[in-house]
Formats: sequence, structure tokens, C-alpha cells
Amino acid sequence: MTDNLGTAATCDTPVDPAVLADYWLALLPAAEEAAVEAHLFECDACGARLQSLVDLAEALRALARSGALRVVLPEQFVRHAAETGRRVRQYDFEPGQTVPCTISADDDLLVARLAADLGGAERVDLIFHDAQGVERGRLTDIPFRTGAGHVIFQESVTFAKAAPSSRMVASLLAVDANGEARLLGEYFFEHTRTIPGPPGWEW
Amino acid sequence: MFVGMSDAALARRIADGRGEAEAEAEVCRRMGPRIRLYGLRHLRSAAAADDLVQQVLLKTIEALRAGRLRDAMKLAPFVLGTCRMTVLDVRRSRQRQEQLLEEFGRELIPVQSGAARLDGERLARCVGALRERERSVVVMTYYDEISAIEAGRSLGISEANVRVIRHRALKQLRACMEPTA
Repeated sequence: MTDNLGTAATCDTPVDPAVLADYWLALLPAAEEAAVEAHLFECDACGARLQSLVDLAEALRALARSGALRVVLPEQFVRHAAETGRRVRQYDFEPGQTVPCTISADDDLLVARLAADLGGAERVDLIFHDAQGVERGRLTDIPFRTGAGHVIFQESVTFAKAAPSSRMVASLLAVDANGEARLLGEYFFEHTRTIPGPPGWEW
Repeated sequence: MFVGMSDAALARRIADGRGEAEAEAEVCRRMGPRIRLYGLRHLRSAAAADDLVQQVLLKTIEALRAGRLRDAMKLAPFVLGTCRMTVLDVRRSRQRQEQLLEEFGRELIPVQSGAARLDGERLARCVGALRERERSVVVMTYYDEISAIEAGRSLGISEANVRVIRHRALKQLRACMEPTA
């Protein structure tokens, strides 16, 4: 708490950052929310910490909406993005299938839906190789729902829009407690660059 | 001379009409950021939060001038209560306007966003360094503030675990974004 002088120097009873984060996301019970607000109206030190969390939340929102992250996401997210006006380019893969794919300049998000039987899997890894078999990325212990029947991977649109025409292989592996891996499926991306501009890099 | 003065002393000054303009300016300087944070949290729009600051400060100054704040020690609770009442009014009578502000507010009114001060490339690297579950939960949470229950259900993670994962991720991101010496 401050000395009631409006200064932000110190706080004897700072609000836990996790509580501030929950407050911002409207996840606190009403009584706890009221207590946090009463504190914030007396304490500029905690107000400043909340403001920095708000800044981080806004920047994360912008980053998440930019489509520039490689991340595994659920069907609900993809549907929500499309329903709220985002242009989502989607590709569906069965195990072993080769799919021609590309991206246009006005696509907002790029996702691949990789079908797989996830039953019995404790941990699932998603690995990427180039046409020469060189590993180009690994997502370890991805979130998945056993009954989903697929994993949805969002590729970075920033990366995809700059990428040259190329072939990439994605592999889903189930990894048990002993580290033994079992192949769930391989998926072949035949990416054709259609955006004009510099040719990009060569792998 | 008013910067170091307590809320109660400022309130008394304004009610007494002594040094009124400067005391009022200090109340605005002190309470403005607090009201704005409250507005951002409850109205989810920078433009609406700025409107709230103006409305609440006007009501506060009017009350102080008229001597309606009986207990000068309770300026902050009074301002918080005024915020709550004003937000309720906004929600009741301006639902349509609020929707428009939510939709177009950022484009219509230039707002100085704190997020712009953050290094976007550095944040992307920090998010890229998170574990997969953390990154998925962070994207789900902040893309459109999808609830922990929804995010967890669709990712195969329990609600309690979503909370733990989100807090761990935020802690790591804050540390990653701290200025390096």
C-alpha cells in the first residue's frame, strides 16, 4: 500500500502477480475482485504493476492475432477465428498424404489439420524435416485431446509468406514414459510460393 | 505543494475553496490512471476508458466542490464507487455505443498504448521459448480472452492446470521481457 500520497514507490502488501493477471481476465470471484479494486485505488505501485501486465496482455493479443507464431491449437480456436472475420487458410492431411499448399498475402492464419489416432498416447511430439531429411523444428509434448482424431498446427504466416517453394515433412510421434517413440503419422507439404517478391532462402 | 498532500487534505482544500485549482489538478493526476485501469478492465476499450476518466473526474470534482464527500479520508473509495456506478450506467444506456467503441474505438481515437512500448520481436522470441502447452494456452487466452474452461476443454487440459500453465508462462514472459543490464 502507498502512503496515500499517490506515489508509486512501494507497497507493503503487493497483490500477487497471478491474482492481478486473473483480475485482468475477469477470473476472480466477486468479493476478491472488489478487494483487489479497493487496493488498486489506494496503491499506485500495484496499479503500475497491473499496467505493465495490461501492456503485456495487449502485446500478446497483437502477437497471437498476427498469426506469426508456430503453435498447436484446437478446432474451437480455428472456428472462432474464421467466424470473427479472420481469413484462415486450412489444409487437411491424412497420414501419409501429400498436400499441395500455398499462402496468399491476405491470409491471416495458416493451419494444418493432421489426422491421427491419438488413443493411448501419453506424450505427442511434432517434428519437421526438410526434403533432405534434416530436422527443421520440433514441438515437444504438444497439447492434444485423446478423442480429437487430429492435431491442428498453426504455421507462422510470416515464415510461410517468405518461404520458397519447398517440400516439408511433418511427423507426429507418441512418446512413452521410457522415451520410446511410436510414429502416429507423416504428412507431406508441397509448398508453392505464390507471393511475388524476393525468392526467399534455399535450404 | 499539493503533490505530497494526502487525499484527505486535498479533499478538504477543495471543499474549503483554498488553492482549489491546483488541488483539483492533483486529484485528477492522482486518480486519472487508476480510473483508466478500472475502465480498461471493465469496458475493454481504451476509448471508453478515457471517457470514463473524464466522467468520473467531473463527478468527483463536483462532489468535492459541493462538500458532498462527508468523510474526506474516503476519497479513493468514493472514486471507485463512482467508477462502478458510471460503468453500470454506461452498460445500461450505451450498449450500442459501447459495441461501436469496442469495434472501432482503436481506429477512431488515437490512443497511446503501452503495448506499443514493448519490443514485439523480443516478445515473439520469448513466446517462442515457452513450452508447447504454455504457448497454446497463452495464444488461446489472449487472442480473444477465451476462458480457462473453454481453453482447457479444447486442449485436453484441466481448468486448474490451464491456470497453473498460464501463470507459469506469464512469469517466464515477464522475466524474459525485463531489460537486461
